Amino acid sequence: MKLNIGTVRSDYAGFNSIARIAEQSHGAFSDSVEVDFSSCNFFEANMAAPLYVVVARLRDELNDVSLINLKSDLDTILRKNHFLTKFQKTTLIDANQTTVPFKVFRLQAGEQFFEYLESCMYGKGIPVMSAALTKRFQQSLFEIFQNAAIHSRSVSGIFTCGQFFPRKHRLDFTIADAGVGIRDNIRQYTGNTKMSSCAAIKWALTEGNTTKTGNQPGGLGLKLLKDFIRMNKGKLQIVSRFGCYEFSAIGDNCKKLDHDFPGTCVNIEINTQDTNSYYLKSEPSSNDIF
Amino acid sequence: MSDRVSIRVADLVGGSLCISAEDGQKVFEKVLPLLKKSKPINISFDHVDMVISLFLNVAIGQLYGSFSEDEVRALVRVEGLSGDDMELLKHVVDNAKKYYSNPKGYDAAWQEEEEEDEQ
Repeated sequence: MKLNIGTVRSDYAGFNSIARIAEQSHGAFSDSVEVDFSSCNFFEANMAAPLYVVVARLRDELNDVSLINLKSDLDTILRKNHFLTKFQKTTLIDANQTTVPFKVFRLQAGEQFFEYLESCMYGKGIPVMSAALTKRFQQSLFEIFQNAAIHSRSVSGIFTCGQFFPRKHRLDFTIADAGVGIRDNIRQYTGNTKMSSCAAIKWALTEGNTTKTGNQPGGLGLKLLKDFIRMNKGKLQIVSRFGCYEFSAIGDNCKKLDHDFPGTCVNIEINTQDTNSYYLKSEPSSNDIF
Repeated sequence: MSDRVSIRVADLVGGSLCISAEDGQKVFEKVLPLLKKSKPINISFDHVDMVISLFLNVAIGQLYGSFSEDEVRALVRVEGLSGDDMELLKHVVDNAKKYYSNPKGYDAAWQEEEEEDEQ
């Protein structure tokens, strides 16, 4: 089976393209599957994370997956970010140090994820960001990672990857899982079996909403992430099953994908030149909080 | 010596990362019996480098399921959090108060949501 991937950027068309090859290969078992890059003119390296959702699901069904016809510059960047080690290719040194390596984590590996961020993301080609921005960015990534760990039920783990675009002063970081998707969790929780993927994403973004059981409050992680992105003038994308949500300074919208993306992917793009302090003008004291 | 019992979070979670619900539950389970005995406590985040809402929901937000706002305000103090983490805790506390005032209310409005057909 050959799957034609086309051009993939961190946008609606790119996610749709990945969802399309997932749908085309759905049901394949113990087959040889080639992902063909011959018509791919550009592939943003952070999109390796959602692409691996498709690969992991195929491998879970004992398919032999390979990538073919990669142009040399794409081959180079995907070696630099270690993605091609999953296809038995060696890594290349990232001299410009603009990649945050592709990595697969187990769901419970929060502490390893912290070590990965500490060792891979800072003090390299990626610019030194303000301490406040660095901290809020890390907190945001943890909120996403732990959301995936708690809710995804992804048997293949969590896939992460990042790419710095120096001329745009933008850093994209992507966290994906091959789980059930936001929609299925919320359908199960609310009992509304017809809720669409976009409605489910909106539900998850509403402060206080959580499918976590056990009589505990929750549902702040994605709301806080949105607040951070708003201040930073960055971009947030959440793709889950048929839903493709995007939030940025110009507003938000959710469009239905033409194909079913078999999991959830969150991409955050931050403005690395941001110098916001992220502190309240008057810091709350312990007395003010309770 | 202060009358307050000090809960050292970094000691309980075994490190500087407060990022999981399980670790939040460890803190909650230390705090719960003390508050039941009306003992004033001080939750110290000294030596904690990273804290996220998930942890705080379980460790502290969950207290509002067992105690009134007045009880929590009278007995609980927090120290060692930076200004922006105090802001995060404020979000968590406000959210918990709302949640426990009407735990099922969040969901009712979404029962009718449906759009285009999906598989």
